[in-house]
Amino acid sequence: MIKVSQLLKTVSTADGELEILRGIDFEVPSGASAAIVGASGSGKSTLLGLLAGMDVASSGKIWLDGECLSDLDEDQRARLRAEKVGFVFQSFQLLPALTALENVMLPLELAGMSDAAATAERFLGEVGLENRLNHYPTTLSGGEQQRVAIARAFARQPRILFADEPTGNLDTRTGERVIELLFELNDRIETTLVLVTHDQRLAERCQRCFNMSAGELREA
Amino acid sequence: MSHSLSGKFLVREWRSGELGILLLALVLAVSVVVGVSSFVGRLQSALLSESARFLAADLVVVSRSSLQDDWVERAEAQGLTTSLSVGFPSMTVADPDHMALVSVKAVSDGYPLRGTLQWSSEAYGQLQSDGAIPPPGEVWLAPRLFSLLNVTLGDSLLVGEAGLTVSGAVRSEPDATAAVFGFGPRLLMNTKDIPDTGVVQPGSRVEYRLLVSGSPEAVRAYKEWLTPLLGQGQRLDTIEGAQPRIGNTLDRAQGFLLLAGSLAVVLAAAAITLASRRFGERHTQYVAILKSLGAQSAQISRLYGLSLATLGAGGTLMGCVVGWGLQEGFIRALGDLLPVTPGPAGWEPIMIGVVTAAVCMLFFAWPPLRRLGQASPLSVLRADIGIEESQRAGDYVIGAASIVGLMWWYSGSAAVTFAVVSGLSVVVGLGFFVARALLSGGRRAGGFAGSIWRVALAGLQRRGRANALQMVIFAMAIMLMLLLSVVRSSLIGQWQAQLPADAPNHFLLNLAPEETPVLEAFFSERGVPAEALYPMTRGRVFSVNQEALPEWREVESEDTPRQREANFTWSDTLPEGNLLVEGDWWSADDAGAWVSLEEDFADDIGAGVGDTLSLRIGAEVFEAKVRSIRQVDWQSMRPNFYVVFPRSVLESYPGMYMTSFRLLPDQKTVLNQLIDILPTVTVIELDIVIREMRAVIDQVARALELVLAVILLAGGLVLVSGVRSSLDARMKESALMRALGAGRRTVLGTLWIEFLVLGAMAGILATVGAEVAAWALQRQVFDMNWAPTFTLWWLGPLLGAVFVATLGLWSCRRVVSTPPVVLLREV
Repeated sequence: MIKVSQLLKTVSTADGELEILRGIDFEVPSGASAAIVGASGSGKSTLLGLLAGMDVASSGKIWLDGECLSDLDEDQRARLRAEKVGFVFQSFQLLPALTALENVMLPLELAGMSDAAATAERFLGEVGLENRLNHYPTTLSGGEQQRVAIARAFARQPRILFADEPTGNLDTRTGERVIELLFELNDRIETTLVLVTHDQRLAERCQRCFNMSAGELREA
Repeated sequence: MSHSLSGKFLVREWRSGELGILLLALVLAVSVVVGVSSFVGRLQSALLSESARFLAADLVVVSRSSLQDDWVERAEAQGLTTSLSVGFPSMTVADPDHMALVSVKAVSDGYPLRGTLQWSSEAYGQLQSDGAIPPPGEVWLAPRLFSLLNVTLGDSLLVGEAGLTVSGAVRSEPDATAAVFGFGPRLLMNTKDIPDTGVVQPGSRVEYRLLVSGSPEAVRAYKEWLTPLLGQGQRLDTIEGAQPRIGNTLDRAQGFLLLAGSLAVVLAAAAITLASRRFGERHTQYVAILKSLGAQSAQISRLYGLSLATLGAGGTLMGCVVGWGLQEGFIRALGDLLPVTPGPAGWEPIMIGVVTAAVCMLFFAWPPLRRLGQASPLSVLRADIGIEESQRAGDYVIGAASIVGLMWWYSGSAAVTFAVVSGLSVVVGLGFFVARALLSGGRRAGGFAGSIWRVALAGLQRRGRANALQMVIFAMAIMLMLLLSVVRSSLIGQWQAQLPADAPNHFLLNLAPEETPVLEAFFSERGVPAEALYPMTRGRVFSVNQEALPEWREVESEDTPRQREANFTWSDTLPEGNLLVEGDWWSADDAGAWVSLEEDFADDIGAGVGDTLSLRIGAEVFEAKVRSIRQVDWQSMRPNFYVVFPRSVLESYPGMYMTSFRLLPDQKTVLNQLIDILPTVTVIELDIVIREMRAVIDQVARALELVLAVILLAGGLVLVSGVRSSLDARMKESALMRALGAGRRTVLGTLWIEFLVLGAMAGILATVGAEVAAWALQRQVFDMNWAPTFTLWWLGPLLGAVFVATLGLWSCRRVVSTPPVVLLREV
């Protein structure tokens, strides 16, 4: 499960300190799904970065699957991500020099798994890309790239999955197919899902929905 | 993270083409360094052997009295080989009507210990070099002596009281220039016949030369043992001290090659830095993704470290192989014309290559990759997060220090390092300041220009910091290329000026004043070009400002002023090829008692301008005041003098004339006609030496061209790397312009102007830097006079603009051939 308590994030600017997140509190139980919606610049992505341990909060605490992130250094947070966290990004973030298969293999190889190729192939099959294994990202459509990203995120069977605007770069139909895939895999692997989105239909599919406004989070 | 993952990573990166330029830069750095250093090493060994050849031994004990027997015994006991030669001038008589003053050289078995003695069984017959020397009772004569003495093979002639049979012609001796016993033509005989001649008596003008050769250690030990035992009139001639005529040329060529190698290191380091910086920049996002997937900093460092180490090992190996091939190419390009076969290069160049690779990888390639470990995973969510720029300053300082150290170690010359570093410092120091000023001024100027110019100049200013860096890198590369071209041109120019095709190749001495019209008529009838006639009188300087100078044998240190003997001449004008370094020249009608001294001669006697010298010619003593100090080009083939007086001072003393003249190979018989008409003159034949010198210079110049080509290639690589380093940002902007409706002409025009301005500015900076470095190099390293190279001032900016604009446009050509959406997705 994910638990957030009194989370505060400030940054220094030329005009002084700027509060981006103001005392955020919320919980997402294991296996549940939650959506964070809000206008651009409201602090959604900052919150997601903090939840995934990619940034450090000014104060407050975050627990991921029982581990308090503020007690961990950067490498320990990276290890936690390697073991328990998956990510799907709005801009896919596939490595252009690697094929679809190699992109999915990468987190498995980083974790030292010996059957990385077979596992990656299986997950690419699950997202319907068994015929695109050796294609490079630039030769895939946006929807296909996001499916590769989903296969990469689920291949390690993470306890928690974060998704940042997963349909933001896709047309409506492709977006819908990606949403289906995301929730289908989420149900099967029983991952805790937290996603940031503008997409109301996507938010409605989640069990809980939070609204972010001016650095404050409220349950919708 | 396993090695196999690093291996896969490397393979995947290689496939993407990112590593190619990094590997190419490394291979080029190592191959040039290995190639040039092994070539220089082999050239050095060739030069040493060449020096030994000019000495006919590794060490020569020279004495005016007969040598102690135990010196020879000691040498042989130390495993050294010895041979003796004895030289003296003598009259030889074939019959009462035919006699000549000759320079006798008697040699013993084994002569020469280094180099070869060439002889023929007839005057101009087939050359032989079979290790033979004249057997006892026989002599070999210089070809000219056959007609002069009217003898043929089998005839007898007298040397002193000994009757000897003519059995061959001596054609060339390795130590002809080192062992000069008078100016007459050579007569070679066996040392066993010397007692019979009765010529060599106590007090005779004789030079004994004990030739010694063997392993460098044994020669060194023998030298150390012998040095304290040397008495008056005895000295040691060593390889280091022997100055073959081509020594200067080879020394300078060697300096040039070391300079070129050092520049190659700088250029390759710059190319590696740029390639690895771009690699690092493109991988920031890559690492952020890896980190978001759970990779830890240490894993990232290990991944990139192992990849770099693998790449470094492969690049070093490839570089060593290519470098080895390169030096073989140099040696083959020189062909048989190198004076001697170059020795093996040894392992040192490989070691230099490996260290260069290690320094380049550690201090230039690694820092941008090491910083990747600090990339924030958050940049996968926010593209505006990069790596702190401030951390790079430290890397630059460490990198610069290591490259200076490497250059110093590599060239073994503080002066070469200083010269290049001073030029580069000017480029870097002025570069950033001027670049920023020009770029902002450029934008203001662009405000009044057409739209393409406005967009281009605004683009230049927008990326001001990156452009300033890029411009400095371009300027450094262009500067080093210009510098090497300038130094090469002036070296070759000076060599060719030193030995023009019509350079005199014979000297004529001992011409009586009344014979001068005869000689002039003789030359003009046969169309032989000759230099001016110089009067020449032997004289001695024995005191300065009434303070007596000691004789040379009385002084212990070479720095102590001492008496000197020299040939004096007079001249109304400053002799051609001389340069006044102090004082002024007298007018033709000046009746003052003046004297002008050559600078080394002035040092030897400890005199300067304004000092009064006491001089002696024969039994007559007179005084003269030093009016000027001259620099003399001893490499020129003209008559040169240490001491020059006004006509009024020297005219009254008896003296002979000298001149130099040029004979073509088929005009050699003119010499015998000359000796028939003017039997008392002495002719020194330098035509063979000059031919050898010219051949060596031509070949060394070819080697220089080859090295220059390699350096230009390295410079080109830096320019390519430099252009590529800013490619992503430019491609993105150009793709955006196209997306917004800009036409092909506008997009290409904008890019063209940007690169053109950058290149031209880099060219201006490069020209300033090249002039500074050339000044330092020519003054400090090559001992040459510096003059600004005006061609550079238009060529530098023009080449900079053309190269950079062409490379830039070529690298960005995809921007107009690929749909903007594809480009925007890629970058």
